[in-house]
Amino acid sequence: MLVDASGASQLAWLGAAVALVSLAVGMALGSPAAVHVAVAALGGIFLLRHDTRLLLAPVYGAGLLLMEDLAIQTIDLRGVGVVTLEALGARTASALAIAAIGACASAAAALAVAAAPRRSVGVTALGALAAVAAVAVIAWLARRRYGASE
Amino acid sequence: MSALISSRTRGLIALAGAALIGALASGRPELALIAMPLLVFAGAGLVLAREPHLAVEIELDRTRLLEGEHAVATVRLRNDGGGAVLVEVALLRTRNLALEPVGAAGILLRAGVRSELTFAVRPQRWGAHAVGPVVVCARDLLGVTTWEGRLGGRVDLRAFPREQRLRELVAPLRTQPFLGTHVARVRGEGIEFADVRPFHAGDRVRHINWRATARRGVPQVNERHPEHSSDVVLLLDTFEEARDSAGGTLDDAVRAAAALARACLARRDRVALVDFGGTLHWLEPAFGTTQLYRIIDALLASDIAFSYAWRNVETIPLRVLPPGALVLAISPLLDGRSLAMVADLRRRGFDLTVIEVSPLDHVSPGESDDDAAAYRLWRLQREAIRARLQSLGIGVAVWGRDGDLGPALEGVNIFRRSARPAVHA
Repeated sequence: MLVDASGASQLAWLGAAVALVSLAVGMALGSPAAVHVAVAALGGIFLLRHDTRLLLAPVYGAGLLLMEDLAIQTIDLRGVGVVTLEALGARTASALAIAAIGACASAAAALAVAAAPRRSVGVTALGALAAVAAVAVIAWLARRRYGASE
Repeated sequence: MSALISSRTRGLIALAGAALIGALASGRPELALIAMPLLVFAGAGLVLAREPHLAVEIELDRTRLLEGEHAVATVRLRNDGGGAVLVEVALLRTRNLALEPVGAAGILLRAGVRSELTFAVRPQRWGAHAVGPVVVCARDLLGVTTWEGRLGGRVDLRAFPREQRLRELVAPLRTQPFLGTHVARVRGEGIEFADVRPFHAGDRVRHINWRATARRGVPQVNERHPEHSSDVVLLLDTFEEARDSAGGTLDDAVRAAAALARACLARRDRVALVDFGGTLHWLEPAFGTTQLYRIIDALLASDIAFSYAWRNVETIPLRVLPPGALVLAISPLLDGRSLAMVADLRRRGFDLTVIEVSPLDHVSPGESDDDAAAYRLWRLQREAIRARLQSLGIGVAVWGRDGDLGPALEGVNIFRRSARPAVHA
């Protein structure tokens, strides 16, 4: 999809507005789905620029994750009258640590992509295989966890 | 406890999957790179999450209290599982129990660690309440997996009605032949002087009135009134009530009944209780502190039970209404069945007093002219009912929510001195 600079700017503003509204609605109504719509909108904005440096994507992704985590924390604590600082701190620290690890992994992948030869059917197939494998591993873990405790 | 993959995790996996597909379709690797932290997060959460084995105990610092007081509920949690979890604890309780702090409490519970949470539990009205169990929602530190369940037992909490201290009670017309504090109408061994009569064989010499004997020339003896107890039946009308946000007439009626029961038992009367409404409950007359506890326990269970069933005096067991008993009917005078029963009791010769728990405090006159007119008519109707009862020789004490019961009862005593006594052969 090709858009000119002013069109991209307008789309970016529109995406930001959609993200803001979704985030507000999600936190007000306690809906994680609306928060994820906001994350998707913000992720879409990143694609509007074609000259973006590849290494910015991991930081952007980690930032999105942290934003999502803070929004979900707000939703989770909606019905909670009292919460200890220790609990808040432990959850935020865990999210920060995992976001940092995720950003590092993503940066390593970005370096691999940057060093990779030009796009070909083989490279695309390899990428597709890696993506499917990653999602399959996560889904298997989720199924095992969910099934084990039933 | 049941484990759930949180909707947040499902959303993250879906987002990451969509981003990967998008990256492959559009040939933009940035999308995959953005999605990677999300995937790492979900994966790490699923790998690292360890199921907690939570144990919960609930304890109250006291299980009996008065209205307006509060108890402290301590919730003890122990995590015997493999990892730290964030636990949200919501303490369940019955209606009319307020908790402080409001809402759930969130804490971090590491593996093998015990923790305590305290809540102030305040009953908003008298009654049998219960605290527990707790609804526990535990999350791993990343919030990826959630375990939910109800843990702990149920602890009963009884809130007794706050009673007024009564200095004046309705004096019974008839007494029973047991030692008590009422001056009986009959003559016998006692303290209160009754009359002087000629000496008969068998009279004790110490009862001779020497002055009267000297004046009349023949031996005269003093007669006295003995101190006897009486039977009191508390008749609680639970057919209907007027209620607003601050409470209802039943709340006030139970407070009045508890205060009257305590005062009557303190003056050594036998007290019975009849909960007369949609359902019928009763306690046979008895003396003493045990009976007071029985009555208060029965009062805590009283409630308005809606019913179309017509009930009259014949539905009450005879042994609960002993002959010569003083019946104190505590009623808001809102239901025709209770009015009919009061009139029926009077016709059967019972010594009867109505303590009207005024519903006026719970009813607003309304804003429109029609409402105001209806309210005035209703008040007139109530006054007519009261006048009709008084014409039957029934004393009516009107007691409002914020008033003292003692002066209202004193008004009844004044009425009973001038009214036709309820003596029945």
